[in-house]
Parts: sequence; C-alpha cells; structure tokens
Amino acid sequence: MNKQRKTNLIFWLFLAPVLFTFIMVIVIPFFMGIFYSFTNWSSSARADSTLQFVGLANFKNSFQDPSFIYSFIITSLYTVLNVLFINAVALILALVVTSRLKLKNIYRVGFFIPNLIGGLVLGYIWQFIFNNAIPALGNIIPVLDFLSNPDNLVLSKVGSSVTALVIVGTWQYAGYIMMIYVAAIEGVPESLFEAATIDGANEFQKFKNITVPMVAQAFTITMFLTLVQSFKQFDVNVSLTAGGPSAIFRGTPLFGTELLSLNIYNTAFVKNMLAEGQARAVVFFVVLVVISVIQVSINKKKEVEL
Amino acid sequence: MKKLFALLMVMTALTSLVFAGGNNEAGTSKGATITLMQNKPEIDGALKDYAKIWNEKTGNTAVVKSVGGSSSITLGQQLKADYAAGDMPDIFIIAGIEDYKEWEGIILDLSNEKWVKETSVAFTKDGKVYGFPVAVEGWGMAYNADMLSKAGIDPASLDNYEAYRSAFEKLDSMKDKLGIDSVVSMAAGPEMGWVTAHHNFNSLLSNGLPYGDMSVVNQLLKGQVDMKRLNEYADWVELLFKYADKAILTTGNYDAQVGAFATQKAAFLHQGNWVDPNIKAANATFKMAFAPHGSMHTATDGIFVAAPSFYVINSESKNIEAAKQFLNDMVFTQEGQDFMVNKAGMIPAYSNVKLNPAGQLSKSVQQWAAEGKVYSWNQYNFTGDFRDLTLAPIYNQFANGSIDKAKFIELMKKAFEGLK
Repeated sequence: MNKQRKTNLIFWLFLAPVLFTFIMVIVIPFFMGIFYSFTNWSSSARADSTLQFVGLANFKNSFQDPSFIYSFIITSLYTVLNVLFINAVALILALVVTSRLKLKNIYRVGFFIPNLIGGLVLGYIWQFIFNNAIPALGNIIPVLDFLSNPDNLVLSKVGSSVTALVIVGTWQYAGYIMMIYVAAIEGVPESLFEAATIDGANEFQKFKNITVPMVAQAFTITMFLTLVQSFKQFDVNVSLTAGGPSAIFRGTPLFGTELLSLNIYNTAFVKNMLAEGQARAVVFFVVLVVISVIQVSINKKKEVEL
Repeated sequence: MKKLFALLMVMTALTSLVFAGGNNEAGTSKGATITLMQNKPEIDGALKDYAKIWNEKTGNTAVVKSVGGSSSITLGQQLKADYAAGDMPDIFIIAGIEDYKEWEGIILDLSNEKWVKETSVAFTKDGKVYGFPVAVEGWGMAYNADMLSKAGIDPASLDNYEAYRSAFEKLDSMKDKLGIDSVVSMAAGPEMGWVTAHHNFNSLLSNGLPYGDMSVVNQLLKGQVDMKRLNEYADWVELLFKYADKAILTTGNYDAQVGAFATQKAAFLHQGNWVDPNIKAANATFKMAFAPHGSMHTATDGIFVAAPSFYVINSESKNIEAAKQFLNDMVFTQEGQDFMVNKAGMIPAYSNVKLNPAGQLSKSVQQWAAEGKVYSWNQYNFTGDFRDLTLAPIYNQFANGSIDKAKFIELMKKAFEGLK
C-alpha cells in the first residue's frame, strides 16, 4: 500500500460516519419527501391507505388554501422586519463592544448568551413577559397604566404579535450575528484608520468609507443567516404565539401569526394531510433557495478585496 | 479503493442493524415488553409506578410514554411519526370515530375481553368492541358554591340561558364584595382552542338531546344549520365571553384559566373534572360542583359526561396477549383499581370498581351520572382539522372583539356549510 492509498483510506475512514449520517438523515429523507409530495401518503392505517400518485393535486390544493397564501405574506413581512432589526442591532452592538470600552468581553458574552437558550424555552419566557410581566408593570407604575388594560396586551393583536416575534427573534439572534461582525471589524487593518485620521476624517466618515466596505463579506454571511433563520422560524412561533391571535383573510378566519413552517406542520399533523404538508415544504424549499441565491449574489458584488 | 469504501459502508450499516436488533430481542421469550402511549401527562408518574408494580407481579414489562399537554403537540402527531418509522406502540389511545378511522387497519377487535362486560362506555363500531375506556370524564360550569350562596344564587336554578344571564349580572355587580376579578374563567386564546372549539362547541351539538342523539351532528355534517339552535348558542358564547376576564380570555393559558378559579378570582370555571389535581395543588378548600350549561333558552338539566379516550391494541403487535393482560389487570386487580381511582384520580368506567375518586368535581360528575342527567360528547364526530383550524379562529375573533355576534353566527354557518 503506497502512501497515496493510505492517505485516501484515512480520508474516507474519517469521513464515513458523517457521510453515513448525512445520507441517512438528509439526502434520503429529502428525496423521499419530494416523492411523497406527489402521492396521497398519510402515514396512517386507514382503510383506504394504499399509496397512489396524485400528480400535482397537493400543490394545487396548497395554493388554493387561503391559510397557505396568508402564511407566505406574513412570513415575508416577518422576514423583512427580522433581517433589518437583527442586523441593525447586531451591528450597533458589534461597534460598541469593539470600541474602547471597559469590560467589553463581559458584554460580548452577555449579548451572546440568549442564543444559547432554546427557542421553545425563550418563547415561553417571553410569553410570560408579554402576558404577565408587562401588565403587572402597568399596575405598579401609574404612568404606565395603559399597559394593564387587556385591550393593549401585546399578544392579543396580529400586528403587535408579529412585532413581539421580531423582538424575541432579535433578542435571540442579534448576539450571534454580533460575533460575526466583531470578527470582521477586528480584521480591518488599523493602518487604514490611522491614515484616515491623518487625512482628517471624522468617526462617521471612517465608519462609512472604511468599516462598511471592509466588512461587506460579513454582510453576505449575516444577511444569509438571518434571512434563512427568519424564513424557517418555527420554535419561537409555536411557543410564543402558537399561531394566534386569529385574523380574517379573504373572508376565512385563520391563524394570524402562523408562519410558513408552522403552517406546514399544521397541515401535516392537525389536518392529517402529510403529503400536502410535504408539497408545501417543497414549495418552501424552492422559494428559500431562490431568494437566498439572489441575496448572496447581490451581496457578493458589494464585497471588496484588499 | 472503491471496494474498500463499499466494504466500509456495508460494515457501518450492519453494525447499526446489530445494535438496533439487540434492544428488541429481550422481549419475546420470558417476560414480554409492551409499549403504551397515552395522552395525559398529569398521570404519567402514577402510570409508570403502576407499570413497575405490574412488572413485579407478572414478569412482563410495560414501557409508558406520555405525549400531550397543549393543542399544538398531540398524541396523534407522535403516532404518525412512529407509524412511519415502523415503531408503533402496542397500546395507544384513540379519542373517537375520527381517530378510529385513522388507524382502522391496525386496531384489534377486543369483543371477547373480560372487561367488556363491566363497562357500558367502551368504544364500539358495528357491534364490535375496539376501545378500552380509560376513564369517565365530564364538564359543565364548575361553580364556587360558597360564593354563590353568599350572592344568594341557587345553583340548582342554573340550567338555562336566562338564569345564567341574571346570575352573571348579579355576580358582576357584587365583584368588589366577593373579591373577584371576573364572573367566569373562560379561555379562548390561540392555545386554548380545545376549550372553545371542542368543549364549548359540544353545547351546540348535544345539549338538551337524549344521550347518544346524533341528529344535530348529522345535520351539521350535511351542511344544514338549525338557525334557532345556533342563535341561542351564540347568545351563550357571547354571555361567557362578556363576563370573562379579558386578559385570560384572549391570551391566557390553562394555568391562568384554572388558577383564576382556584384562587377565588372567578366564580365559574369552564372546564371539566380533570382540573381536580390542579385545584388541589393550589390548596383551594371552598366547596365546588358542576352546573349544566345554559346554551339554550329551555332548561337543560344535565352535564356532558363520557369516556373521552380509549386504549386500543395494535393488531400488528408481537405481544398482543401481554397487552390484553395489561388492560384486564387494570380493571380486575386491586393494584390496577388503586392506580385508576386513587393514584390517577380518575372516575372508573367499570362497574366492578367500587372505589371513588377524592376530587370534588369528579364526585360531582359521578353524582350527575348516577342520576342519569347526562348529555353526550359529540365533538369528536368532527375532524381535528375542522375544530382546531376552522372553528378555533372564529371563537378567537369573537373573544378578541374583532367580530360581533351576527358575524360570529355568519362565520359558523359558513363553516358548517363548507362541510358537505
């Protein structure tokens, strides 16, 4: 066995466990899922449960369902808000913790910690804050009296519930994105700033003309991560709002904050239409791929190489 | 190189198979292992303790898995995942005809079991017995008897809309004196669709009808709506929502709803006897019982009582005999009866069981049942989809005040017409 062969063997040996897992839990289910989306699969022991091809019926039914269309709209809205908020907050935090600040490492850890808490737990914690803590605050402080009025409960209206989802999403994810910005900002050569200072540039000019172009690469990554994360939001959605409160869309009462993942889940497991849920997941996948490819290619154009 | 890689893959695959096989093998020869999946997290501990005792006595092992707790995470979903994975439990739960249809192909006929003679509420279809009733449950309007007597209201008079309306009005005017925040503790939030679109909805379906009467259900399933009945029902829903605490009504969860009643912040509670353990945990000592729903203008003297869920045996199970024995032992052994009544606090569905549950509301259900003043549970004749995704948002809209009663009636009518 020559050296080349030995290296090859070791390479495959180390790769095998990961490859095996990847094929078993990602690749095979992915193609099975696409297959099932064209059938009447229901994973139950119904009397008439033979597997049949139904063509594009699942896709057709999905697009005729107001709740699916509504989910698309509300998810897009949520994604836009969430991407903007997370990135704005993360960038500000990153600038703060890279400045000459005392205890900046402690702040970095502090901002990052929410990301380590599971989304379900986070959702229930914030549900308690919105439903109990905030109204209680209104009872204690007379000026904030309006908070204790049940009409002003954050989670009782669709608009404010989406805002609540964005707040929790930002709280959870901004620390993580901040870390990426911090790494990028610290990678900008100090000499550029010194040169700019000698040329008489002020802080804002330095930020606009040096920091932003130099961290453009990080923008590509963070925008991609936040976009995908927001689009796929599920756990916080389930635990914080459970899809509610209700809304009326095209004359049909439905769940007002049911994001796409939750809509797919409800289609599969509450409506008992697993194949149709799978079809929606395929649509979801295609849309997500298209949007993220567009986003990455736009961002790539703005990157600069030194 | 390619051969080596292929060999490696095969070996990896084989190893995992061997490990997977090892777990199952232990069962068949001596003591069998059965898996039971159920939907009451609150009795999980008691059931596991009982499974341990059963194991000591019979040598068979019962693995208990509990799923549930909210309307977004349910037993049905877990069963679907397990069925797809080929890992179906030996004993699982169905709630009625819609669940039965879902698993029709693998539900074992239990007509010849010993326990069948001891119960009148088993799940039957076409003359055959399929489901072992887990317990008898019931709901009505739970009331705080101490508070009602203080307000001078006779609970026996509460059996129609008008009586409830005047009682609610009176209690509402005495809020400060009684120290309550609201008259009735009601929940219609996004997680609480089962209170409105399952339980409250049943008032429309069976209140005032003979036990087992499906006439209203069948009409609605055909899309025919009895407008008089629906109008009276809408009055009832409006009354409940009007005198409820708005925060609990729109965003509260189960704990908030039951908590308000247990801490005497509300005089009525729209829940069933399963709240007994929660009320006990809150150290509530006041007297309480159930009164009928007032969803109609004529008097309806009875509460909703039925066996809500049934154990069924998976006919593809390798350990059918052990599974059958597990169910029989629960009814015919002292330990089994002790588990059902004393440990789990359930109302037994079997005539040979002479024990009584300790909870006040469970006793009230037993009393109504003993007098024969009961109405059936008909909500499970509608799909989970229809209840949770179609009706629940309508109730939520009404509770939020986004729509008025006329619109509520219109949307309900439209929903039923969409069924045919």
